[in-house]
Amino acid sequence: MNTDSENFYNQIVNKLKNWARINSPWAIHFNSGSCNGCDIEILATLTPRYDVERLGIKLQGSPRHADVLIATGPVTLQALDRLIRVYEQMPDPKFVIAVGSCALSGGVFDGCYSVIGDLNKVIPVNVYIPGCPPRPEAIIFGVVQLLESLKKGKNPQPITVPDEIPEIAVEEESNGNE
Amino acid sequence: METSEILESGKIILEKWIESSSTPEENRLDIWVTIENFKPVVQSIVENHWGYLITITGLDVPPLFDEEKKEIQSGQLEALYHFANEAAIITIRVKVPYSKPQIESICDLIPSATIYEREVIELFGFDLLNTPNTDKLVLPDSWPEGVYPMRKTFTNLQVLENTTKEQPDE
Amino acid sequence: MSEPKREKFIVPIGPQHPALKEPGNFEFTVDGEIVTDAAVRLGFVHRGIEKACEVRNYTQDMYLLERICGICSHVHATAFVLGVEKLAGIQAPPRAEAIRVLAAELERIHSHFLWLGVAAHEAGFDTLFMYAWRDREVVMDILETLSGSRVHYSVNVLGGVKIDVDEKLSDLIKKDMDFLEERTEYYMKVVTTDDTFIGRTRGIGTLSKERAEVLGAVGPTVRASGVKRDVRVNSPYSGYKEFPVKMITDETGDLEARFIVRLKELYESYRIIKEILEKIQPGELVTRIKRKIPEGEVISRVEAPRGELFYYIKSNGTEIPERVKVRTPSLCNWGTIMDVAVGHKLADMPMLLVGIDPCFSCNDRMVEVRSNSQKPQIMNWDGLRNYGIEYYR
Ligand code: SF4
Repeated sequence: MNTDSENFYNQIVNKLKNWARINSPWAIHFNSGSCNGCDIEILATLTPRYDVERLGIKLQGSPRHADVLIATGPVTLQALDRLIRVYEQMPDPKFVIAVGSCALSGGVFDGCYSVIGDLNKVIPVNVYIPGCPPRPEAIIFGVVQLLESLKKGKNPQPITVPDEIPEIAVEEESNGNE
Repeated sequence: METSEILESGKIILEKWIESSSTPEENRLDIWVTIENFKPVVQSIVENHWGYLITITGLDVPPLFDEEKKEIQSGQLEALYHFANEAAIITIRVKVPYSKPQIESICDLIPSATIYEREVIELFGFDLLNTPNTDKLVLPDSWPEGVYPMRKTFTNLQVLENTTKEQPDE
Repeated sequence: MSEPKREKFIVPIGPQHPALKEPGNFEFTVDGEIVTDAAVRLGFVHRGIEKACEVRNYTQDMYLLERICGICSHVHATAFVLGVEKLAGIQAPPRAEAIRVLAAELERIHSHFLWLGVAAHEAGFDTLFMYAWRDREVVMDILETLSGSRVHYSVNVLGGVKIDVDEKLSDLIKKDMDFLEERTEYYMKVVTTDDTFIGRTRGIGTLSKERAEVLGAVGPTVRASGVKRDVRVNSPYSGYKEFPVKMITDETGDLEARFIVRLKELYESYRIIKEILEKIQPGELVTRIKRKIPEGEVISRVEAPRGELFYYIKSNGTEIPERVKVRTPSLCNWGTIMDVAVGHKLADMPMLLVGIDPCFSCNDRMVEVRSNSQKPQIMNWDGLRNYGIEYYR
């Protein structure tokens, strides 16, 4: 079984798969009880100003075609089953991006009777994007982080906020309410 | 018509059933009625085309105890039916005891009330007689029977054992 | 129910479907092409906010309630804050009231643009979707400069607001409003003259005036049927006393009328915003309010982009409310769907659903389409959407 040629063949295929995955990740979005804020920002990333499709990222309707699950919201009890089902329907390898404070920790809804609160309690999460809601730029940044880590290793390591946050030139007086 | 006139006209319609009433704000009229009178009251509102049903609010009035833990007033549920006509709001209030939280359904008069009725049934445990649909509306399918989250005695579900963090305090 | 000759299908849609970004679960029973029954199941986004309000204090509640919905977060906060202020017997300063209205109208613009985009997407008109969302970014920018956040602006505090507009910003906003007005003209043209679009909207989902009144529908949905129901006009609150708006209604009650009403409301919003920026008086932004709110009950209604938002707040004299009841506009508009859907083609359902601009988070929320048939047919939202588009090709 373990012949050299097969190994070689496998390597090529794997490389090819990885390449394809990095260059065109298909994502599915799942709302498990969010307030919409995060969802709208995710949708906003598709629109002309941010346009993630230029990075090859496509939002996809069916979990069976998706590589990346973008989940928002504190997991509600009613959405729990469906979340798990969607996750299980996705083909391997699959990655999960948690968007928003709610998916990270429950956010403001922590302690409500109908929420579990933390996406990580339900399914493994690869990338956390904090914010309430995170800006579309932040969401794109999170996705790019996932892709970078895919490029480096076979499986992404959980990424947190980078130690060194690059300096961003802040335009003075850009804010109208000083 | 002025708001006060609209309110007045509503009051005239309902005059004979009013048990007690109050005007907490100038555009509002709260009317307490007995359970028997409740259906005719709603009927006359609908027949006179006085406004529309905004929603049904449930209230939990927990039992009162004196120092020796003796019940001086038993626990009650209160249902508030808010009707609005322009700026005027009439609230029909009915009180029912925990032991027999029965109110007539008003879905035959106001079909869209079913969604609100389902909500108070689930969250407070009202028993709305002859309501067409008692399927779960908002609570999860796995929710235990007979647990009403909006009652004051309910604090949190035990199944959520891993979320027993303290409530955030300022 | 099951007659041997006629097969009935139940078509469940949702809970997750990509178009609306929100979980909804509807069930339509169909007989051939025609929908014979519709049912709805909410609760996928039910988080128990009303209960959570009873353990948090008023200030915390304001931020929590803002997060009921990410589209109309400002109106939720406004309704709550106005109610609490009424209980406390204080009145926010006039400048604060005007800024509240300013934010509310900006929010209405962003919400209507968002809806226009989503509706166009459902109709298979993706170009319009992209256009609408591109223009929406203009409003988002204003809101962000104004408040620092794109979604949860947190403009309100108990007793006033915490943001202010200055000269520079108000010039910018006025310029942007002119730009948007121009764009809206274009959308109006598309919506009323484009053949493919009219094919999907004209004469579909007609809700008669009588029916709309009985069902207790609210917002643009009911105004498109000619019912004069707008809290901003019927019972002016906050800054609307000083800056009155016009009631916009239409007579036909079909989907097209709902498009037109919403677009016309945009003009009204532009006008109000400009007027506020012209006339706003300098002054205080907050009045002091005690942490403990006196005992009492209050009802507070405001007009959200989707219709009347209703708050009932009961205070027991402490820092924590005794009961907060929220009735969101989408909830009462569900009733109209269930009513209107029957007799329509399945292909019309996506448009019909977006026609009321459903906001699931607002009702906590999800819709399902099921049938008690021998051969249940499963269709996801995408499938249904494509079905609709193909059908009208
Ligand atoms: S993180 Fe904030 S914006 Fe996102 S779902 Fe939660 S409350 Fe809404």
